[in-house]
Amino acid sequence: MNDNFPILILLFLVAAVVVLAFLALTVFFGPKRPNPDKGLPFECGTVGVGDARAPFPIKYYLAGIIFAVFDVELAFLYPWAVAFRDLRLVGFVSMMIFLAILAVGLYYAVRRGVFEWK
Amino acid sequence: MPFPLSHLLHFTPELILIVGFVVLMIVDLIRPLRRAAGILALVILAAAGVVAMFGWPGTSQTIFATYSHDPFALFFKVFFCLATIVAVLFSLASFKTDAEYYLLLVGSALGMSLLSGAHDLILLFLTIEMVSIPSYILAGVYRGQRSSGEAALKYVLYGAVSTGVMLFGMSLLYGLTGSTDFDLIRNHFLQGSSSPITLFLAMLLILAGIGYKVAMVPFHFWCPDVYEGAPTPITAFFSVAPKAAGFAALLRLTVTLLPRGWEAGWDWPMLFTLASAATMTLGNLAAIAQQNLKRLLAYSSIAHAGYLLMGFAAASDLGFQAVLFYLIVYLFMNYGAFFVVDIVSRKEGSELLRDFRGLGYRAPYVAAAFSIFLFSLVGLPPLAGFIGKFYLFGALIDQGMVPLAVIGVLNSVVSLWYYVKIIREMFLRDPLKPVPLLTGVGAKVLLLALMIPIFVMGVYWSPIIAVAGEAFQLVLP
Repeated sequence: MNDNFPILILLFLVAAVVVLAFLALTVFFGPKRPNPDKGLPFECGTVGVGDARAPFPIKYYLAGIIFAVFDVELAFLYPWAVAFRDLRLVGFVSMMIFLAILAVGLYYAVRRGVFEWK
Repeated sequence: MPFPLSHLLHFTPELILIVGFVVLMIVDLIRPLRRAAGILALVILAAAGVVAMFGWPGTSQTIFATYSHDPFALFFKVFFCLATIVAVLFSLASFKTDAEYYLLLVGSALGMSLLSGAHDLILLFLTIEMVSIPSYILAGVYRGQRSSGEAALKYVLYGAVSTGVMLFGMSLLYGLTGSTDFDLIRNHFLQGSSSPITLFLAMLLILAGIGYKVAMVPFHFWCPDVYEGAPTPITAFFSVAPKAAGFAALLRLTVTLLPRGWEAGWDWPMLFTLASAATMTLGNLAAIAQQNLKRLLAYSSIAHAGYLLMGFAAASDLGFQAVLFYLIVYLFMNYGAFFVVDIVSRKEGSELLRDFRGLGYRAPYVAAAFSIFLFSLVGLPPLAGFIGKFYLFGALIDQGMVPLAVIGVLNSVVSLWYYVKIIREMFLRDPLKPVPLLTGVGAKVLLLALMIPIFVMGVYWSPIIAVAGEAFQLVLP
């Protein structure tokens, strides 16, 4: 019988042991020389300003999501373009419907003010 | 080779929903039309439901090797369209909202329709997400309210974790069998070449993800908080439609992947037996202490998930049919109960037990309707809830699983206690404010429309059970 189960158990055990071992080893053997600079949140060497829990505009994320949609659309367009001749009219019409749905989505986003940076 | 376009005909209900979704997006942008969005959503959903109904019972076939077109899927398509229609009517009667709200409901219905036919792990995962993501937004649709935001955030966080767990289970299943197609996975199992314990782990993880959707103990934690914080029509929708979607997925998974008589090396009905007993017991015991009616109904809906799991524990045709029948009954009685809670909380500003004090004198019709929904939830004859439970218990007895049936009956007795507590509050206590609570005609008609099926199915249930039996014709080799 092709028994994968011991391998799975081993995976879990090894993962758990490695993690716990590293945690335990640093507690016991790691050098501890605390200083106030080490307590700062590390942000590429820049000195932190203010609290992280502040309200911030989500405009960027909206634009980011819409970018992701069109990025994925491109991923669909490439294979379609390559197989364009073989797919004939059916492929063309299908892709146009797909693009039309996306276009409506983009229009919707524009009209709802996603790209207005105020 | 391009796929045969005629296959698209099997997707007519979904195509209607997709076109409707796009049309609703455009309508949302045109100011004068925006007010008609609710009505338009009703038309779209009704069209999709009717088209699905005309396809009944149809033939069983698998399309693109990923999608089942069978009576089971059609049954659930009609069910989901109906559930969403009731949610839209409920919202129209209850509060003013954006067209976006109806857009999301239609999107959710689309996800659920596709889910009912999913015959592939990836499609199953995608459709579950298509149902979940609109649900997360709908939970937070009251933008200004903290409780609504809390509900949405909790739903997203718990949902993300359970989705991750389910995906891990699916990846194990894929690793074991090298396929995401249900048929190929089952064939691989039947050859008996995979380790039973790894298979058990994979199915357990997938079950955890779906158990979250149906609020199965121990994955029920989100349920009371989300139900309390979300707007009441949405709470009612969550308690019926996505829950039924979870059960649809669970049904297809258990029936296609775990065929009866197959020596799996582990007793999977036992797993459902334990889950069922734990779910209904915890739901009912926790409901006793609740003062907030939405929380109470949330725990009651957890308990009902437990009752429905009894059909899986029985693991017989009779048990699965009983699940389908109970889902139909559950749709009407649960929507009804939440609708009454919404009517009262809209007037009183909160949905605590004391707000219902003396409702029998302030709004006799609404209080009487509420009593009927609650009695049906308990499962008292001659209401539909009784017939539903009768079939579930009958399926258990038929399989000789008397202990679980006894636990179920004891649970029904416990549930009687907290449901009747509400009825006592309504009829045997003097109202805090002795002024009549007025309800609109639309609300009264909707209540009546939800009550009639409960009475009818309580007396004349054979056509519905026949439909449930016919729906249980899955694509099996």
